Order: sequence, then C-alpha cells, then structure tokens
Amino acid sequence: MSQATQQPAEAVSPYLPRAAKIVEAKDFTEQEKYFRFEFEDGQGIEYLPGQFMEVSVFGIGEAPISICSSGGKRDDLEMCIRSAGDVTNALHELNVGDTVGLRGPMGNGLDMDAMEGMDLLFVAGGLGLAPCRSFILTALENREKFGRVTILYGSRTPKDLLYAYDLDAWRDRDDCEFLVTVDRGDDDWTGNTGVITTLFRKIDRPDAANTAAFIIGPPVMFKFTVLEALAMGLRKNNIYCSLERRMKCGLGKCGHCQIRNVYVCQDGPIFSYAEVMRLREGI
Amino acid sequence: MAESKPTISFHDFTSCEGCQLQVLNCEDELLDILGAVDIVEFREAIDDKADSYDVAFIEGAFTRESDRKRLETIRSKAGIVVALGACACTGGLNVLKNFRGLEKSMKTVYGDSADWYETSQALPVEAAIKVDYKVHGCPIPRQEFLEVVTSLLAGRTPRIPDHPVCVECKLRENECLYHKSQYCMGPLARAGCDAWCPSYGGRCYACRGLISDPNNQAAFDVLEEFGLTIDDVLTEFRLFNGVYDVSQPPTEARVEKQ
Amino acid sequence: MLPQILPKDKLADFARFLMGEYRLAAPVAKGHQFAFEFIETPEDVGRIRMDYDITILPPKKFLHPMYEELLRFGGRDPATGEAPIQAEPTVILGAHPYDLHAIATTDAAMRAEPADPYYATKRDATLLIGINIRGYVNDEQFMADMRTTEPPEGGWDLFMTDLGDRYYVEVGSDAGSKLHQAAGMFTQAAGDDHKAKQAFDNEKASNLPKRLPYDTRYLPELMSESYDSLLWDAVARRCFSCGTCTNVCPTCYCFDVQDKLNLDAASGVRRRQWDSCQLHTFAEVAGGENFREHRSSRLRHRMFRKGKFIYEQTGKPGCVGCGRCSVHCVADISILEAYQQIADEAAVSAMEIAAAREESQ
Repeated sequence: MSQATQQPAEAVSPYLPRAAKIVEAKDFTEQEKYFRFEFEDGQGIEYLPGQFMEVSVFGIGEAPISICSSGGKRDDLEMCIRSAGDVTNALHELNVGDTVGLRGPMGNGLDMDAMEGMDLLFVAGGLGLAPCRSFILTALENREKFGRVTILYGSRTPKDLLYAYDLDAWRDRDDCEFLVTVDRGDDDWTGNTGVITTLFRKIDRPDAANTAAFIIGPPVMFKFTVLEALAMGLRKNNIYCSLERRMKCGLGKCGHCQIRNVYVCQDGPIFSYAEVMRLREGI
Repeated sequence: MAESKPTISFHDFTSCEGCQLQVLNCEDELLDILGAVDIVEFREAIDDKADSYDVAFIEGAFTRESDRKRLETIRSKAGIVVALGACACTGGLNVLKNFRGLEKSMKTVYGDSADWYETSQALPVEAAIKVDYKVHGCPIPRQEFLEVVTSLLAGRTPRIPDHPVCVECKLRENECLYHKSQYCMGPLARAGCDAWCPSYGGRCYACRGLISDPNNQAAFDVLEEFGLTIDDVLTEFRLFNGVYDVSQPPTEARVEKQ
Repeated sequence: MLPQILPKDKLADFARFLMGEYRLAAPVAKGHQFAFEFIETPEDVGRIRMDYDITILPPKKFLHPMYEELLRFGGRDPATGEAPIQAEPTVILGAHPYDLHAIATTDAAMRAEPADPYYATKRDATLLIGINIRGYVNDEQFMADMRTTEPPEGGWDLFMTDLGDRYYVEVGSDAGSKLHQAAGMFTQAAGDDHKAKQAFDNEKASNLPKRLPYDTRYLPELMSESYDSLLWDAVARRCFSCGTCTNVCPTCYCFDVQDKLNLDAASGVRRRQWDSCQLHTFAEVAGGENFREHRSSRLRHRMFRKGKFIYEQTGKPGCVGCGRCSVHCVADISILEAYQQIADEAAVSAMEIAAAREESQ
C-alpha cells in the first residue's frame, strides 16, 4: 500500500562477526596469551594502529581487544588477550585451528603518516604494550619516515613482560633506543627496577616541539607519565593515549563507553592529551 | 565440559522445598535438561546417593549447628555449589526467629517439648561453606534456574541481575505502588523475578535480597516521606534480609525519636 | 497535502482499517495510567484512548524493543551465526507531539553512521499518526521550554487534533496522504474546521506556559557551567539508581548485549536489552574498574545527556520536556527542578560576585 509497507532489501547486520581462524597462539604469561588470526573468507583486513576488534565467542559474548600487529592492509592480525572475564577466559582455552568471530576494525586509530619527520617516544605500561606495539611496529617498518625512536616499557615483574622476542629485537636494533623496567625484580633480573617514570631520567632530552609520544597503560601510569612528557616540553596535541572503556556495540550506540559527549568506540580509543584533558572523566 | 554428562544434585535444609518444586515446574525444559546432565541426588524426585557432583544445588537455611557437617560434606564432594532460593541465599524468612529470640520461638512451636529439638541462629548457607553462585527468590524464578544451569554447562558466569526490581517493573508498565500510596522494596531489591509481585497486585518484599549498592540514605528518607516509621522499614527489610547489616538503623537516635 | 477531517465516530472504523494492513499500536488504559499496546482484535479497538494524558513508557518500545534479537547461533563456531533483520508494517496511532520529537531524536541517533539497521528497518516500516495535546499531561512537563508542543518538521505521517465531534488531520508525508485516501473516510477540512483548529491552538498555547527562567538555547552552556556543582551530589543522596528515569525516557536508547543460551548450552541468541546509565554496572569494565562508580556522577551523566550531549550529537532535543522521568521517580527527583537550579547557579557569574563585593565594601 504505502511506501512504508514495502520491505527494503534486507540489511546486513553490523553485529554479525567474520569467522577467523587462529593460526598462531602462545602463552606469554599466566594471564596473557598471544594470538594471530586469519579470516576464513580470505578477504583480509585493513586497519590503523590503535584500532580494536570485538572478539566474539557465541554463547559467551564479546570483548573489545586492541590489535597489536602493525597497521595497513594485510591478511592476518595479532592480539594479546588477558583473561579478565568470561569471554577472554573462553578465548584462552582456544588453540591453533579454532575459530572465533571478529568484528572491526573499530575506533579511530591514528595514521602515523601524519607524524612523518617527527621523533617518536613510546611509553607502554603492562598490557598497554599490546596497542602500543601496533604503533611501534608500524614505525619500525617505516623507519626512514621518522626521526629518533625511543621505546620505554614498564611491567610489574620480569615474569609479566610480554613479547619477549620483540623486546630482544628492539634491544638489538641500533636505530631505536629501548629501555625496560620492572616494579619488582627477581633474582635473575639485572635490568632497571622502579616505576616507568624513572626511565625518563635515562633518555636523552628529546626535541620537544618535534616529538610525538604514545603513552599507553593503566590510568594511574598515564597521569604520572604525562607529567613527565609535559615537563620535557612535549605539546599536549602530540601526546597520545588509548582509553579503556566498556565498548559493547562498537558502533557508537549502546552508551557504555561514553565519556561525556564522546563515544570512545567511535571517537577513540586514541585521544591526544589535549582532548582527554577537556573530557575531565577521561582518565 | 567433560564428555560424560555433568552430574548435578539437589540437597535440602530448612525450607519448604518450594524452590525444588520450581525446578520440577520447568516441565517444558526438564527433558532437555535431563538430556544435558545426570541428576544424581534429588529427594523430591529420586533418591540415589552419589560420591561427587559437578554442581550441587542447596536449598534451605542453615539453622542447626549439626547441619554444618552435612554442608561441609556436600562442599567437599561438589565442584560448584549453588545456593537455591531465599532460605539458602539469605536465610530467608527463617531469620525472623533470630529477632524474636530462639528460646521464645522454640517454645511457641514446640511448647513443652522444645528441649527435645536442636536449633541455632538461622543463617545463609554461606555462613557454613563457600557458595559459588546464588539463585535468589522465594521461590526461585524458573528462568533464572535455567540460566544458571545453561551457563554452568557452557562454562560462563550466570547472568544474575544486580539492579533494582524497579527496572523490570517499569518494563512491564506497572503503576508504581508508591504512586498508589503503598510502599514496596523494589528500589532496593534485586531484580530477576520480572517484578512478579508488583505485577500481580502485591508489593515487593525483596525476597531476592538487596542489590549490592542500595542507597540506604534514600531508603530511610523517602520511606519516611511516605509515612513509614523506622520500625515499619525494619520490618520490611527483615522479612527476607534480616542477615544484612542494613537491617540496623543508621542512627539509634532516630529510633528513639519514634 | 491539505488538512483533512475524520468524524470522531469513524475513529474505530479507521483503526480497523489500519489493522487490515498493519500491526496497530495505540494508547489504552492501564490502571489509572496509560500504555501503548498492540490492538490485537477488531473488538479491542474500543479500548483505544485518544484522550490519554501520557503513557508510562513512550512509543520507543516499538522501534527499539526492550529485548531484541541481534543474531542467532548454532554453537561456538562463528560460521553458524545468522542475523535476519525484519520488521512488520506497523502504525503507531496516538503519539503526542513530544513523543514525535523524541522519535525524531532517536532517528537521528540511530541512523547516524554507522547506522543501526535493526532500528532503521523497523522505523522504515512504521507509520506515525500523532494526536494533539490540549496542554496538561502531568505536573512535571515543560514542553513549551523544549519547543516540543507542536509536531516536528517531518518524520510523521498524520497528525490529529480533537475538535470535539471530529478530528482535524494534518498530513505530514506522502505515505500519510495515501493512507487517508485509501481509508476513504476523510474529507477535506473547510473554513469552520480551520477556525476551530485555530481556537484549539490558542487555548493550548495558554495551557502550556514556559517554566524555566531562561531560553533552552542556553541549556547546553548552562549544563557545562554546572559540571562541578554540588547539586549533583545533593540530588544523588535521594537517588536509588533504579533506572526508572531512563526506562521511561523517550530519548534514552542505551542497551546491553547478552548471549542467551538454549538448553543445549551451545545454541542461542545474542540479543540487546535496554540498559541504564544509572545502574552501577553500566560503566564497569572487565578488570572491575568502574568509570562512573558514584551515584552522583551517573545522575549527572544522565542530566548532561538530556540537556547537552544528545542535542550536540543530533541537533535535536535530548529532553523533550515530557516529565516522565520526574513523575515516575520514587524519590521525586525532578529534571525540571535541576534545570532551574543550574540557572540560579550560573546567574551568580564571576562578574556579579566581583560587583557584589565592590558594593559591600
């Protein structure tokens, strides 16, 4: 009868995940497990560093997880997943050959081409290294585009260090400076001990106006580390962080990740400190 | 879960066994449940005894010190212990006798024979043993029992609401009892019952316990505005939630003023 | 699309006509209050109450249902997932102007990219037939302030005004035009009808005075100013965080997503259900951190969404002034009162403080 009764062509659900196979899996720590996924449809994926995926286990639910592999157009993607709830616990039981559902990429991410010519300072605390690694690898794969590259990484104990093979590789490179610290060492630990801000004393003063910093870690670390970065003279617009929120739908609708008028799942999770500062409830 | 069917058991303590009847009332679903699990102990329906259970459902309050041993045995045999119903979760109505005084209650019920029987303060099951999950309510809602069974089979945490009954009551578009000049525990009571009582003309007594962050200040202030005395409020709280600290008035001074 | 007349005694016939082609939702009595319900049988048409004051829940429940299946699955394997998105042709009869505004707001929010196809598909299959208000709907209303006493620019199909023995029916869309033509019981409105409608409008305007001491154009700005106010802590002392305000709000659309399992503990559905930013679990993340742990921060978040954020996102009112949240609040927390209070605070601006000090010296 009227137009309203005509059924439009059936819409495609943005909630339907793509099937992805686990092609690599390893335990990093008791809590953190690394996965590499390939999509069953062979279509691959294109994403920016800083973006995340909704990882789905039917019957259990979905969890937002940062991508930790380098950005661009590729066949696979990597994640480091901490068991913190039902979904991530279920994911930890999976191994090579198992499939999961993936929706994404989601969120804004950050195009690192915009930082061409700048010095880069990466500061990662704990599991924050996962999203940070996406930026680090993207930078190192395009090393010629950037000036000095400095990576600072802090973790609670030597047992909690993630991506051991990456850490070795970064330490061995002579085109980047890599420093790591732990809050509490053990008998075998000969490296730095202390919170991550202590590493700022050990690096050369950066060219402040021309440095972009990526500070990713728990909120308490962010506060103290931003102070260090600002004290070194870095611009608020050039300090980036990734905010953790309960991103349920990933589509800017369900409201769970909202901070004031910002939907972290769409407008974030990557924000400059200048933006976070204005949000008030951000950190 | 394991390839052989998971085993579940039902045990009863001080209660009316109405919650186990609710399980039997899952008529449409019972055959499916029996397809997924082996029920190895269930006095209401079968009387086998088993050596171990993947999931033990315990109904009833812990009201006799001598029950502690039986509870501990169940705990030692069970992988997961689920408290089933108000009596097991909060002590339920049984807790009223604590306020009345054990001696007085025993005299009322058993008269001269009171000395023949053992009793102690009525307490929730978790006063004796660790409880993994709780299915609240007097009686339990069938849908929540099914949610717990399917969740445990799937290896996930059961979704037990921790928000007030008002949520479900509004979704059913009930007229608010407060707007009909009646009062109700809905704003403090744990949802999950689909607002049973308010939907059928009753008021909510919080049989499913309280939410984890009740606003006690608001409760006392608002209920007072509706003309309730502290005693009225306490009576409401105590009916099913006598074991909670919240049953104590915030200041003694206020009670004396009444 | 000229205004039409529907004799009042033809309303039942019109409703039955609609039921032939659509699912029909309309206001009916629910105790002493009212609710939108589906009219299931032709006999039930008599239950329709076009003279209702206000419904408990707004008509959003038909476009964004309390529980809605997003997809279904046969087991853990993601290949078993399927997500049929369907909608039955529906007419919502008897929506008040403020609810039509609220639907326009929700349209903008849900259709914003990435659009929500579940909502959009239902909305595309739904016709809206509004009914005018005479003025009073409840003690807490402030529609005049929110500019929602008349229907919005577009987004509705027919809009009826009760002129005693007949309805004056404005036509808002081609679909609405086709609908009244197909019904065959409408006639074109004439001079007397227009006059009567004008008289209705005049009386209605006098029944709907403004209640805020400022133009709501400044509401978002006033909200910003109030962010650190103690008002939110004070109001939160009485707040049960029960979610009633958001459930009855016509522009609230937040939801949770949960998997419901069948008894095989493998197959099931992933569905969304209304959620509320007032519930303490709303902003909690998997590790246990809660980003709006305090009642007052949750209450403030709602007030800000209503007075500022939704408007800034959609360009449409985040609060339509219907008063539902306030009349249904057990603790009598009034959004109108909060909006009055923040104006009092802002009136004492820094300059005024300086001026006052100078005077007192």
